[in-house]
Amino acid sequence: MLYVKDLYKSYETGKNKYEVLKGIDFQVAQGEFVAVMGPSGSGKTTLLNCISCYIPFDKGNIRLGSMELAGMNEDALARVRNTKIGFVFQDFMLLDGLTIRENILVPRIVQGEVKEEAEKLADQLADMFGIGHILNKYPAEISGGEKQRAAVARSLINNPLIILADEPTGNLDSKSSRAVIETFGNAKEQMKATIFMVTHDSFAASFCDRVILLKDGTIYRQLEKAQERGAFQDQLLDAIKKMGQED
Amino acid sequence: MSQIKNMKQMERKLQRADRKQSRLYLFCNFTALMIISAYSALMLSPTVQKVFPKGGDSAKQMYAIFVMTLVGCVVFTIYALGLFFRHKSGQLGILMALGASRKRLAPGLYREVIFLSGVSAAAGTVSGFPFVWVIWHAFRLLLVDSSDMALTFDFRCLFISLLFLLLVVGFACLTAWRYLKKTNIMEVIREEHINEPVKELGRWCGPAGFLLILAGAVLGYGAPWACHVWFSTYPPAWVSVFYAPVFVGLYMVMLHTVVHGWKSHRKNPYKNIISRSMMKFQGKQTVNNLLVVTLLVAGGCFAIFYLPTNCVSAMVRYASQPYDYFYKYQVDQDVPDRETVEALGREYGLTFKEWNECDYVTLGIGGNTSVFEEDGLHYHTEYVPMVGEAKILSEDAYQTLTGQQADVKPGTYMNLTNQEESFFYTNESAKELTNMTTRKQLATEFAGFLHYDLLTEDIPCCVLDNGDYAAISEGLTDDWRGRFVGFNVDGKDSYPFADAFYHLFVSAFDESCERPRYYDRVQKIRENEAGIEYWGDTDDFTVISYELSDAFAFRQNWVYQPDFRILNQNDYLRSMAVMFMMFLFIFIVCMITALVVCHTRCQSIALNNRYIFDDLKKLGASPAFLDKEVRSQCSNVFKVPSLVGMTAMFLLFSMILYANDGRMLMTEWAAMGVCLGIIAVIGCVIYAVYRSTVKVIRGQLGIV
Repeated sequence: MLYVKDLYKSYETGKNKYEVLKGIDFQVAQGEFVAVMGPSGSGKTTLLNCISCYIPFDKGNIRLGSMELAGMNEDALARVRNTKIGFVFQDFMLLDGLTIRENILVPRIVQGEVKEEAEKLADQLADMFGIGHILNKYPAEISGGEKQRAAVARSLINNPLIILADEPTGNLDSKSSRAVIETFGNAKEQMKATIFMVTHDSFAASFCDRVILLKDGTIYRQLEKAQERGAFQDQLLDAIKKMGQED
Repeated sequence: MSQIKNMKQMERKLQRADRKQSRLYLFCNFTALMIISAYSALMLSPTVQKVFPKGGDSAKQMYAIFVMTLVGCVVFTIYALGLFFRHKSGQLGILMALGASRKRLAPGLYREVIFLSGVSAAAGTVSGFPFVWVIWHAFRLLLVDSSDMALTFDFRCLFISLLFLLLVVGFACLTAWRYLKKTNIMEVIREEHINEPVKELGRWCGPAGFLLILAGAVLGYGAPWACHVWFSTYPPAWVSVFYAPVFVGLYMVMLHTVVHGWKSHRKNPYKNIISRSMMKFQGKQTVNNLLVVTLLVAGGCFAIFYLPTNCVSAMVRYASQPYDYFYKYQVDQDVPDRETVEALGREYGLTFKEWNECDYVTLGIGGNTSVFEEDGLHYHTEYVPMVGEAKILSEDAYQTLTGQQADVKPGTYMNLTNQEESFFYTNESAKELTNMTTRKQLATEFAGFLHYDLLTEDIPCCVLDNGDYAAISEGLTDDWRGRFVGFNVDGKDSYPFADAFYHLFVSAFDESCERPRYYDRVQKIRENEAGIEYWGDTDDFTVISYELSDAFAFRQNWVYQPDFRILNQNDYLRSMAVMFMMFLFIFIVCMITALVVCHTRCQSIALNNRYIFDDLKKLGASPAFLDKEVRSQCSNVFKVPSLVGMTAMFLLFSMILYANDGRMLMTEWAAMGVCLGIIAVIGCVIYAVYRSTVKVIRGQLGIV
């Protein structure tokens, strides 16, 4: 589903050049729920932004399904972002002037005319994620957890190949975090969604099938979930602790 | 079900929701265009154009301040546009992230910015005319009214507004295109939080800035003088570049204000650290804005100081003139004699006393004049036997008129000047006088000054020994002979009499005297005899007409314009009305522009730092602390440029008045005192707007 090969990305500030990603290689299979963890500055968000084509990368290949993203023109990339990728941001990024139903429908609106079928799907997604009762409210009128669940519903409205989530629980309390992660779980189970999530939160990561640990722009280690969630979280915490001790 | 079915409907709904964000942009655009269109409408109106002499200093000042205002308007319009897009970028970024392509977003975005810019700019342009009409008629109603002040427009001025409107719309589209072109979507989303820090200089930059301002003022003002004295050339236009250090200095002062502030932080480096840092990280635009505000405040002060510096000296001069009525005429004109004037006076219940009159003659006088070299740039001074006209009185005539005794030795002349000897039109170099009818010459030399304000005018006035006067004036025809008359009113004077007498007096002259005071008949004869056309006979020459005897141009320039105290005192403002009101209008426009820039800048600092204020609240900052931070930000934006602008103009005016004659006269001290009072009033207005801005920002940031 997602193939990332030999990915490099650097930032320039004045005369200084900072290499953030230094040859990243990994794959995500269809229907897989994968998390990326790592300390601040390890390149997690940069990796996600490169995959979602929000920022250009220096070198390497990113293949989504059968499409090679490097070298695509702006229009084609926009089509990919609209139809093949669903994105969930840390700070929700809902449009304040639209209702929750309208926010969920934005990717469809961007595509063209909104049909009845899309509206029904929006309602179904909202019901599935427990936000059916707030569809006519505006973002300012609902809680952070509800906003994020609306954002997850939005990311699924076009039935994308993959959902990319950047710290989706970063701004939420533990109850809302759990609700959002369960939303991802539902999406994976019921819609066969492929999810690629960047997180600091070992609790959120413990729901995933696999966790990629990043350190200084390279993959430090990958952990497969072979046990129940609590034990996997312990395994993650141990790996992170070990990674920290190696500095 | 959702009401939104497509992109267009969504954009419309988002625009409605963003009305608050658009309001500042609409306001700035509207204000800029209203100011530009009002200023250009008045500046280019026939009403103003016929009063401001073409190429004169006043006209140059009016155009220079217009350019400054234009720059101010461009700056705050562009800045408001930037603010609008900073807010808009979040929305654009989200839509881009969700797969809206550039092509998909472009029509809606262009439609929105063209609509907002176009409508606000067009509304501003149209409103400029009622704006100027209302202000002008308020002037006429509340301050002064005259026939000169009938306001007419030359609608070609719309060309300037149209250019500005196109600039606004064009720049809005360009900015929209720039945002759409961005490939880094995260950058677009985070645009609102991006800082614009300014490159820091040490704490020396503020004091060094003040030194540069001073150096620039002295160099800029002194350069034309140096051209004359050291290089014997008229100062070329580029000599103004010597003022450049003023602008560099201003920049450094503003930079110091933004980066360091003007209070010492050595004892407590953490004091005001938040407000200083906030300002520093919005540095680039803040410094530019402060600079523009300084120039606008300076421009406004320059315009408003014009009034007291002119009015006070004129009023003092009128009050101190020794005759209530003083006039001169050519003897070949049928001017009302004493009996006629006394009869007219009786009609108004007036009797006259201290009636004195005496003859004078107009002769050709020798003197130094500047002659251009072949290169057309340099000149040298050359003595010419008939350099121009001079009014000549005998010792007896002088004594009759002034009551002062003049002891002039034969073969010499004494030149009239005013009490302070600050008058420019003196001639100390004459070696001969010429009778323009017989061409007989009298050798003479300068023997000193006599002082009598009423006899100082553009044409030098001299007193000769009685014998010399009789000898040189022999054979002179009547068109070169004249008479001075002065008298006082016994009791209280009457304006209606003065007005009636003035019109009677003007109507007595024939067309041979329908010429301005600077038309020199001797120079004309000399040049015509040399085969040169006299400049006063060319089309460029300002023609005056008896039909406009109440107009500013006539009363300022007619060669026989009388000095009637009560008429001048009452009509001074009226005859100078257009010029004064134009400068008053310029002042209002500059101050409005400056205050809008300050208000916008304060708002942008507050809005861009909203997150800092939120964080401070979370960290436990009290409303009082937050309020102090807001006030500290706003006070720097309002206070420093206003103080620098007003002080710089006050010092510049003082320097100009001092440099005119190397001293400050009482009238000039009085005028500067009035200017100081005006500064106090401006300060109060600025303070009021500052308070209101702080209140608005407090509301926006939710500081209770």
